Amino acid sequence: MEPEVIEAEMVLPTYLSFKKVQMHEKYPKGQARGRHWKHLKQIIQAENYQNYPPDEPNYVNIESPPSMNPCKKICDITGFEAPYSDPRTNLRYANTEVFKHIRLIPNESVQRYLGLRNAQVVLK
Amino acid sequence: MPFVSQTSLQSDYTLFSSNCPIVIDNGGSNFRIGWAGETDPRIIFRNIVQRPRHKATGETVTIVGDHDPALMKYFDCTRSSPRSAFDSNVVYQFEIMEYILDYGFERMGADGSQVDHPVLITECVCNPVQSRSKMAELLFETYGVPSVAFGVDAAFSYKYNQQLGICDKDGLVVCPGFTTTHVIPFVDGEPVYKACCRTNIGGFHVSDYLKQLLSLKYPHHMSRITWEKVEDLKMEHCYIAPDYASEAQSFQKGGKEAEDKTRCWQLPWVPPPVEGLPSEEEIARKAAIKERQGQRLREMAEAKRSSRINELENELQGLEFLLQQLGNVEEKDIASFLAETGYVSKQEIESSRAKVMQSLRKAKGEPKGEQAETEEKVDPSAAEKYPLINIPDNMLTPEQLKEKKKQLFLKTTSEGRQRAKQKRFEEELERERQNQQDEEKRLENPELYLEQLRAKYRELSEKVEQRKRHKTNGNHTNGNHNLSGGVGRGERLNAAQKERMRLLTTAAFDRGKGEDTFGARDEDWQLYKLMSRDNDDDEEGPDAYEAELARISSRLQDIDPNFVSKPELVPFQPVVEVPSFRPLSKEDFQIVFGVERFRCPEILFHPNLVGVDQVGVDEMAGVSIRRLPSRSQGLDERMTNSILLSGGSCLFPGIRERLEAGIRMIRPCGSPIRVVRASDPVLDAWRGAAVYAASLQFPGQTFSKTDYYEKGEDWLRRYTLRYTL
Repeated sequence: MEPEVIEAEMVLPTYLSFKKVQMHEKYPKGQARGRHWKHLKQIIQAENYQNYPPDEPNYVNIESPPSMNPCKKICDITGFEAPYSDPRTNLRYANTEVFKHIRLIPNESVQRYLGLRNAQVVLK
Repeated sequence: MPFVSQTSLQSDYTLFSSNCPIVIDNGGSNFRIGWAGETDPRIIFRNIVQRPRHKATGETVTIVGDHDPALMKYFDCTRSSPRSAFDSNVVYQFEIMEYILDYGFERMGADGSQVDHPVLITECVCNPVQSRSKMAELLFETYGVPSVAFGVDAAFSYKYNQQLGICDKDGLVVCPGFTTTHVIPFVDGEPVYKACCRTNIGGFHVSDYLKQLLSLKYPHHMSRITWEKVEDLKMEHCYIAPDYASEAQSFQKGGKEAEDKTRCWQLPWVPPPVEGLPSEEEIARKAAIKERQGQRLREMAEAKRSSRINELENELQGLEFLLQQLGNVEEKDIASFLAETGYVSKQEIESSRAKVMQSLRKAKGEPKGEQAETEEKVDPSAAEKYPLINIPDNMLTPEQLKEKKKQLFLKTTSEGRQRAKQKRFEEELERERQNQQDEEKRLENPELYLEQLRAKYRELSEKVEQRKRHKTNGNHTNGNHNLSGGVGRGERLNAAQKERMRLLTTAAFDRGKGEDTFGARDEDWQLYKLMSRDNDDDEEGPDAYEAELARISSRLQDIDPNFVSKPELVPFQPVVEVPSFRPLSKEDFQIVFGVERFRCPEILFHPNLVGVDQVGVDEMAGVSIRRLPSRSQGLDERMTNSILLSGGSCLFPGIRERLEAGIRMIRPCGSPIRVVRASDPVLDAWRGAAVYAASLQFPGQTFSKTDYYEKGEDWLRRYTLRYTL
């Protein structure tokens, strides 16, 4: 190890006296471990919230509802108010200059712009 | 940089008694750990882990938190990106969580065989029991913690500010965090989780939105737009517009106000060295080099020529010597002598001698044409050169007849040459005359003349072009087609070639279609004539138009200084736009963001902008109040009268005013609304937790390892702290 790296103490020591089980004992080296954790979706599913009274707060039912107000439409490129939307690319745009621009940019960028508001084309 | 991690090793760990709790604020972006009862956490670092390979030793090491980028060069980070233990705001990867806790305790100076202190650690609202139990298990089993308590960061923040007198015991805490935003109502100083609500939008989404927008706007500088840099930009420049629509409109209109609000990030840029015109010296040097090269070439050519002359002279001498010898040789020995030399006859030697002489003359630079010229000059006078022509055939011997034929042929060819010369001369005269006329006209009225000439030029060039187009395109009248996409095979052929192709293909595929009657009529055979290559009417002689055009354009070039021969003269090549290489300027290395400054944090109020179909912060307050189980007008008013803003993402300027305006819109007219910002939105959660853990009643809120194993999961699920002690 380089002296400045040791100086900065940025590397976590492999042995820590205060631990009852060291990292390498828990996760031995060279042993292929499959995925040993669950994603949030799987965790929520395993919680079986449907078995509990609905008025009891849980991770799922405290989520906010969709908005009652109409969705604000802003130009995907500039962020201005967007009265128009392009039927070919589905992008919203503010004026003719932006329209020219969106017809020039490659499809990849168009999809990334759409992806910003979760409206991109998803191939399944 | 607004945030600096704080990771210096603490030395006073042993000074704390074993019942002094350790307080951990385990947030989505930062991990803070310290002692109960203190005002500030001891250790703060970004809640991430990366496991790169150390380049020198090759071992995989664990690095927790952010470190000096200059030191990261010793590590190979290509296969490890910074990872977080969080999915949304729930801890799900406990291996990473363990590294983080390791680092936290290690920095606190922990030694001994276990962490012998109670631990108060924050979690999200309504944390799934699986995550909670795993965390408890980790703390008990791995670190030997005697007892553990879980609390909610936003609640601790509210309680802390309540103690400071900033908010009341009834109220709302609005906490936009890193991955989520929570609104938790408090009644009598206790959080009402039943009525709280969560929107999955936070500072992470703001930064990500800004990063995506900037990298889409400046694709060339994508590599410069790193996560860390964007976080910095967000913290420094983003603000919440009081009214998004009007703010955007002011930017759309432009003007000074918008200009002042536009920020510009100058990327490192070095102006390219200015290339002036080459100096006199340079030009002279280049000319000298060119001259030297030319000289060398000339010398080489000269040497080659002289060596050839030498060679030829030697050969000539040899041949002459041979002829001399031949003269001396006896008649009967000639055959054997010749056999030795390799020549067949004396004539052959003579002819080769003549040939050598001729090439020698050529090599020496005597113009061959001169000879021809003299011959021709002699021609007309020497009518008697062809003496046999005028003598009737019957008076000649067969040999003479042959000779006469030859003479006749020679005479006609030479006469033809003469005529052609005459014609050329006349044409020259004619052109001269025309030019003279033109000149006269020009002198009479130069402008008019120039105008006429130009008009004529345009007309002619149009005509020529049309002709050419017609030739290539055959029946297609729109020449543009060819210009834009002349790719296919057919496009390259002209009309005649196309026709030939068509004939050939029809002939080839005509077989077997009914009875073959080809050849029955005489016209059928004309087909071959059409097919033959000679039929191409390419050689229809030099185009009269083209000749005229060339004349006019040369004339125009002479007299009109502005004249440029039109590029349409070569209409087959599509006009290629030569990309103009503009030297890159300072402006090309600027990242300008104006609307983005308030567009990105706007997603806190309108999650719809990034495709999250949930209410924004202002409406969340209304939702939360509606969800309260026991409502009265007094309670509602007390609620809205004490709204506390906490959490990292409430640092945006203008958020307080905007939130107040937003809540005013959803509340009945005249209701009291007071929105306050926490004393320190970032650290208050930890401070509140530290105060809480320091109180005497805190041990009653914790649970030990035996509790954990005896009471079971269902108890853990319902476990909540009492925040008022």
